[in-house]
Amino acid sequence: MPITELSKNELCDTGIEELDVMLGGGIPTGSTVLVVGSSGSGKTTLCMQYLINGAKKGERGVFFTITEPLFKLTKNMEGFEFYDKKLIESGMVNLIDLRIISERLGLDTEKYTVEDASALLDILRDIADELNVKRLVIDSITALCYRLQTPEMIRDFIFKLGSSLAAMKCTTLLTSEVPPRKFQYSQYGIEEFISDGIMFLGDIERKGDLIRTFQLVKMRGAAHSRTKSAMSISTKNGVELAPLLKSRE
Amino acid sequence: MVNVLIDGLKERISNAIKINQSIGIILPASNYPDLVQALFERINSTPEEAWVYVTVTKPCDNILSQFEFLKDSKNIKFVDCISRAAGINKANDNCIFVESPTMLEKIGLEIINIFKEVDENVKKYLVIDSLTNLIIYNDPDIVTEFFYHIINRTRTKNIHTISLAIEEEELDKYLTRLIYLNDKILKVRDSFI
Amino acid sequence: MVKEEFISTGIEKLDTLLEGGTPKGFSILILGGPGSSIEILAKQLATTGNVLYFTTEETKEEILDTMKRFGWNAEKIEIIDIATEYSKAILSGEQKRVSVYEQRSKIKLKELIEIGSSGTPQITKGGQDFLAVLSNSIKISKYEKIIINSLDFFLNQYSQEEVLRTLHAAKISNFQNNGVIIMIMTRGIHGDVFERKMEGIADCVLELEVLQKGSTFERFLAVKKMKNYAKKIGIARYAIDSDGFILEMIERIM
Repeated sequence: MPITELSKNELCDTGIEELDVMLGGGIPTGSTVLVVGSSGSGKTTLCMQYLINGAKKGERGVFFTITEPLFKLTKNMEGFEFYDKKLIESGMVNLIDLRIISERLGLDTEKYTVEDASALLDILRDIADELNVKRLVIDSITALCYRLQTPEMIRDFIFKLGSSLAAMKCTTLLTSEVPPRKFQYSQYGIEEFISDGIMFLGDIERKGDLIRTFQLVKMRGAAHSRTKSAMSISTKNGVELAPLLKSRE
Repeated sequence: MVNVLIDGLKERISNAIKINQSIGIILPASNYPDLVQALFERINSTPEEAWVYVTVTKPCDNILSQFEFLKDSKNIKFVDCISRAAGINKANDNCIFVESPTMLEKIGLEIINIFKEVDENVKKYLVIDSLTNLIIYNDPDIVTEFFYHIINRTRTKNIHTISLAIEEEELDKYLTRLIYLNDKILKVRDSFI
Repeated sequence: MVKEEFISTGIEKLDTLLEGGTPKGFSILILGGPGSSIEILAKQLATTGNVLYFTTEETKEEILDTMKRFGWNAEKIEIIDIATEYSKAILSGEQKRVSVYEQRSKIKLKELIEIGSSGTPQITKGGQDFLAVLSNSIKISKYEKIIINSLDFFLNQYSQEEVLRTLHAAKISNFQNNGVIIMIMTRGIHGDVFERKMEGIADCVLELEVLQKGSTFERFLAVKKMKNYAKKIGIARYAIDSDGFILEMIERIM
């Protein structure tokens, strides 16, 4: 297959073994990947694991949250064995609450105007530059867009975000919240166009139980399978993937 | 009488597992208690081996209180697939809990994860107790697929597998199909010895 | 006729038109278009009785100045000045917006990262809820007359459903208080359906109309609805002089 072989430093491995195998080594460096799922599907865990794994091999990262206060985020993460507090303390992984930033800038934290949003984007980029991060997470793009008033503003914002991210050298995961069991990738229907990749965290029903699933829907510049995997989240290993057994349901 | 039966079982299993990578044991429900006792005694007597015991039959906690000698065993780890579904939330260092016996992929993952931490030169064994109960909780086809995966994965990692099938009239046709995926089949009958 | 059952509007001829004033417990909707001087009427209605006056376009000072100019009694009027509060909010919002960029250049990025990585955000409240102010003040009102000038402001800030709900509640409180509530609204900008709904809520509907006749304008005040007092439906020509509204010719329709 004429897929360009990317050398190791052009790939950003997620540290989730089965996913990296699926990706042929990792996410092409500099990509923007949408991590889609309903609430509780493991988006935040997956993103954090990606940052921590990067930090463990010396790649600095930043996690921008806009949905959860930091203490809640760290409390949830402390249960996982992959989570290493020292990496946060040493600044290898930076957790930043975007609401505090907007508050400090004098923005209304619940409602953004076009100017607010682009000011925030500038700050986001400046922070990423200042910290010299290789890995960036925004959790969630849905919550960010929710603060904009009209569909036009959201459109504009997403495209601006896309071009800002493209100009940065870091590999970005954006989480996107969708209602459960809806096969859409984003709330506003356009987030997927600015992303180079889409990971879909869903579930299937089996005998009344919900089995977590993972699907790599798209990844530009990587040959990958689109088959669904079963996903497990455990405190010991965080997110893990396994081939999904075919049930007839 | 009972001891003779258990000793006989131990010997048969030991011999079979030495030669074969995977063995299936099919037995009537009345022999089940003797068989598990034989297995646990065997595990306890060989601390140099590493065992993973997947239980879909009894909560791990029940097994440990019945076979107290297992509590200090360092060579056995449990994957308990029914405690969580039954609402039992006791933590146990020697046991990994899977939320439901329907989460077959997760069961598979946990088995492999435990063996990953075992030294390569140690002899490794896996017990699935039981295929019958997996079929009760799942579609028989998906259990076949799961079991096929397990047999293959454990084979490549040089893990010996012992799977139990308790005879159950209505499930026999599925059990037969499953049990034949093993290299060797032992049939336990009352007149076994 | 038992005089106490009515509350004087503050305009003698209008009281005549209404045959004594407005019945206690009534909700009155006054509709008017541009050039009708509806804002003068609103203030003139505030000249008798204990009055609670909500102002959304003019400030308290402007109202008092105008009333002084006409020589009206403004002693028993309590003004809730939403106009000033609102413009303060707008101004500070604008200032905030302007200062984002100034702030940005003043705060060092390192400092910002530091702040963003620690602590929890205070959830800043949005602007003041003026509809709630209206609703709460009316609920506890001991005033004989409540004047809202105008509904237009609330309809620009809130959904029509929210405003209707508040006004329904206001109408009930007012009925229990035996007072009069007067609501001013501009005709023709909130949609026919909404106007119809408002006319439905109100016990009494007055409308100011300006008609062009040749090179002059003729102004009319029509009593379009008067619940349970069909006789009071009528129309009067009006003019405005240094004393305020003068009703000139009254025609009964029924």
